[in-house]
Amino acid sequence: MSDSTNGAANGASSTNGSAVVMEKFTYDDAIVRKFMIATFLWGLIAFLAGLFIAAQLALPALNFDIPWLTFGRLRPLHTNAAIFAFGGNAIFTAVYYSVQRLCRARMYSDLLSNLHFWGWQAIIVAAAVTLPLGYTQGKEYAELEWPIDIAIAVVWAGIFGANLLGTLIKRRERHIYVAIWFYIASWLTVCVLHIFNSLVVVAGPLKSYSVYAGVQDAFIQWWYGHNAVAFFLTTPFLGMMYYFLPKAANRPVFSYKLSIVHFWSLVFIYIWAGPHHLHYTSLPAWASTLGMLFSVMLWMPSWGGMINGLLTLRGAWHRVATDPVLKFFVVGITFYGMSTFEGPMLSVKSVNALSHYTDWTIGHVHAGTLGWNGFMTFGMIYFLLPRLFQTNLWSVRLATAHFWVGMLGIIMYWLSMYGAGVTQGLMWRAFDETGSLAYPDFVETVTRLIPMYWIRFAGGGLFVLGVLFMGVNMLMTWLSRPPKYDEPVHEAPKLDPVYKPAPAYRSDLENVVGLGRKFDEFTHLGWHRKWEARPVKFTVWVLVAVAVASLFEAIPTWLVEANRPTIATVKPYTPLELLGRDIYVAEGCYVCHSQMVRPMRHETERYGEYSKPGEFVYDHPFQWGSRRIGPDLHRIGGARNHLWHWQHFENPRQISAGSIMPGYPWLLEQDLDFGQAASRVRAMSFLGVPYDADAVLTAEDLARAQASQIAEEITIQGGPDAESIETKKALALIAYLQRLGTDIMAAPDAEDAEQEPED
Amino acid sequence: MSEASPAADAALDAANLSDHEYDGIQEYDNPTPGWWHLIFFLTIIFSVFYWFWYAGTAPGKSVHEKYEEEVTAYYEMLFADVGTLEPDEPTILRVMHDPDLAQFRPVAQAIFTSKCAACHGATGAGGTGPNMTDDSYLNVSSLTEIATVIREGAATGAMPPWEGRLHPNQITLLAGYVASLRGTNVPGKSPEGEVPAPWPEWAGPEDAGAP
Repeated sequence: MSDSTNGAANGASSTNGSAVVMEKFTYDDAIVRKFMIATFLWGLIAFLAGLFIAAQLALPALNFDIPWLTFGRLRPLHTNAAIFAFGGNAIFTAVYYSVQRLCRARMYSDLLSNLHFWGWQAIIVAAAVTLPLGYTQGKEYAELEWPIDIAIAVVWAGIFGANLLGTLIKRRERHIYVAIWFYIASWLTVCVLHIFNSLVVVAGPLKSYSVYAGVQDAFIQWWYGHNAVAFFLTTPFLGMMYYFLPKAANRPVFSYKLSIVHFWSLVFIYIWAGPHHLHYTSLPAWASTLGMLFSVMLWMPSWGGMINGLLTLRGAWHRVATDPVLKFFVVGITFYGMSTFEGPMLSVKSVNALSHYTDWTIGHVHAGTLGWNGFMTFGMIYFLLPRLFQTNLWSVRLATAHFWVGMLGIIMYWLSMYGAGVTQGLMWRAFDETGSLAYPDFVETVTRLIPMYWIRFAGGGLFVLGVLFMGVNMLMTWLSRPPKYDEPVHEAPKLDPVYKPAPAYRSDLENVVGLGRKFDEFTHLGWHRKWEARPVKFTVWVLVAVAVASLFEAIPTWLVEANRPTIATVKPYTPLELLGRDIYVAEGCYVCHSQMVRPMRHETERYGEYSKPGEFVYDHPFQWGSRRIGPDLHRIGGARNHLWHWQHFENPRQISAGSIMPGYPWLLEQDLDFGQAASRVRAMSFLGVPYDADAVLTAEDLARAQASQIAEEITIQGGPDAESIETKKALALIAYLQRLGTDIMAAPDAEDAEQEPED
Repeated sequence: MSEASPAADAALDAANLSDHEYDGIQEYDNPTPGWWHLIFFLTIIFSVFYWFWYAGTAPGKSVHEKYEEEVTAYYEMLFADVGTLEPDEPTILRVMHDPDLAQFRPVAQAIFTSKCAACHGATGAGGTGPNMTDDSYLNVSSLTEIATVIREGAATGAMPPWEGRLHPNQITLLAGYVASLRGTNVPGKSPEGEVPAPWPEWAGPEDAGAP
């Protein structure tokens, strides 16, 4: 094997004497331009939505009592837009630009490229319309309803996958570069995660129920949710880093060996870590422990990427001072390093006991998304602007200003949320000298955070200001583009179908047994070099790596009976409660309220008995929540009267001074569609929820009867006249809330009496 | 260091430069850093030990067992000296007046704030629920009935029952706390219901504990 670093020598062998077939090709940069502009536009929308909902937390009047402007509906819009619209388009920009060049091949099909682009934008528009209208599956970062889920599967798994793999197959570069390994892992794992987390039973045109319930649904959701962070926000951006950083710094990558070791350890370990989102919940302890340990072990594999990034800059550090692209990359990678240290730390159970449900998690996430995803993307865009628009960047000074303003914004955001999280976490758990809650009034732990919410808002504002600077720079650079883009024609030999790998390394270690020499040969990684020449085989091995971990955790979660103990007194929801639960999901109540009392004395003193796994067996989907902007609701059933809820929906602040919850006056005015009761009960029956044989037929009547009863009780309690309210949506939600967490307190039926309740 | 001598660095690395090249990107074949391996192995070793310590454990180490232990210990500690506080008139009077039980007033107040204040107001001046600081009562004509209403609720669920959600002693303490709010007349919701006879006088510590 020649030592030449000329790619052509790698690409085709001329040693067999046959003529080298040279092929001409061009790169499709038009599609990259489209994805780049979409990245900016959707990013701006996602960040503005974030800014708006941040302001709502400090100033609840900004909910305006308008359904589609409330926090519960806009927060999913913000997260989905930031992750899938901004992050997604950024990923595609990086993939479409770098894969063509790394493979020395145009994308497999221009048609697929354009279907991919427009399909993805259509999905985003559909999300931006349906989420504010309250169409949601109620699982974080997987809120989109089933028709959109199918579209995502088609566009991501089908069109993007075919285009990516097709390009890899017809590549003219023998080996695939580390950036492409990360792209493959991202594409493949996101397919698996999305499909398995989105399995639903359809109950209407834009309504579905997760096929999983309770503990299992929580497990699969956070397997998905955590790995959305891993394989949507980490691995594709590492791929981005591995291409754009050495290009921008013009330095070789620090260590090929480290690339291999950290890639495989990252891919294998990341997928186990999901249960760390469910510490101290009803998830079985073994799963929670696995989630923590694999998170701890994930620390160094994550840092492998940071080390390879930062050390690649050796010999180029002086250029960081002048080049905004490198500035963004350096800080982006540093935030990646900080977040991937903080992540394992937060996944340690005793730290998580403090941090979970607080703004600490929000701060952690935003250090990662604003710092790592945001800054890597901005760096990439500034790198691409002169190349894609074939002119000079309009203003390096404005780009540098974007960098400083953005960084100040991130730091303000991060520190204020860290402060808010620790403050609230400590207030929740504080006892006075008698052992009673020191802050028994939940609202007190909220109002204390308001100043920090304003600092967060200011930090977010600075970040958005920086993005606007970038927009101006993009526009002005675009305006100075040439009348017609130059499209250089490249030439490279076609890949020889016969792959002749470099001669295998033979260990020349002396005084060791044969096994030692074998190990030495293994660590020289020649086998991996061969894999790199076989992208399909490589993909299969990635699938094995992620599937093993997933199955190891998932199968016991389903099959071991002890993981889902039943409780005799836990019964299916009534039809009205089911309709109320739909409202709970649609309004995004889970965004601010958990339904999971942890087994900690300060929680049981505040909320009541801790939550048991058997209480959630009919919860399709689970609604445990991940953040307590408001108090936990699992034991709210029976703790307030109907009238309290009625008035509280109308305006929370007339009942609870200082509350930052939005008003829901429309629930008191709009009529409930009782006709939906039958289809909801039918869908639940199909999922195995034990309703009576005639439950579908009687569902509507039962729902109406229960609503009338609640309306009458509201009248007795001093509320409005029963007849005027008995058809209102609020009644269904009240029915659901009053049921929450009460089944374990019910007396067992005679037939159930012989079965011992779980606890 | 690297910034000071990029040339020296490059010379050092040059020997390690691999023959890989993709779109102009080259790769060094540098070894992975030793400290990186060390920490990686340490986290793996930690995980193995933690797993066996935690999962293959003797009873008593689980989150739930530790929680039960803590709660039991807390209530034993809290009520060690007073035993059971029956929800009867003499005991409620003791809760209201006996200096020996004054330590429980903040306990009752914390419960009132977390459970009752949502409807009755932080000061007891009423909200959706009645004002507890005036002289009138809706479903109560005696001290023991305060405890009964807390335990069983009243007025078709307007007042929810708290039995099973609170420790029995807490209900008695709460009854005493609520009774002591009578006549503090915090401005709030207008009086509702009847005015019961004034609460009995407390006879003093010698009666304490009498049946």
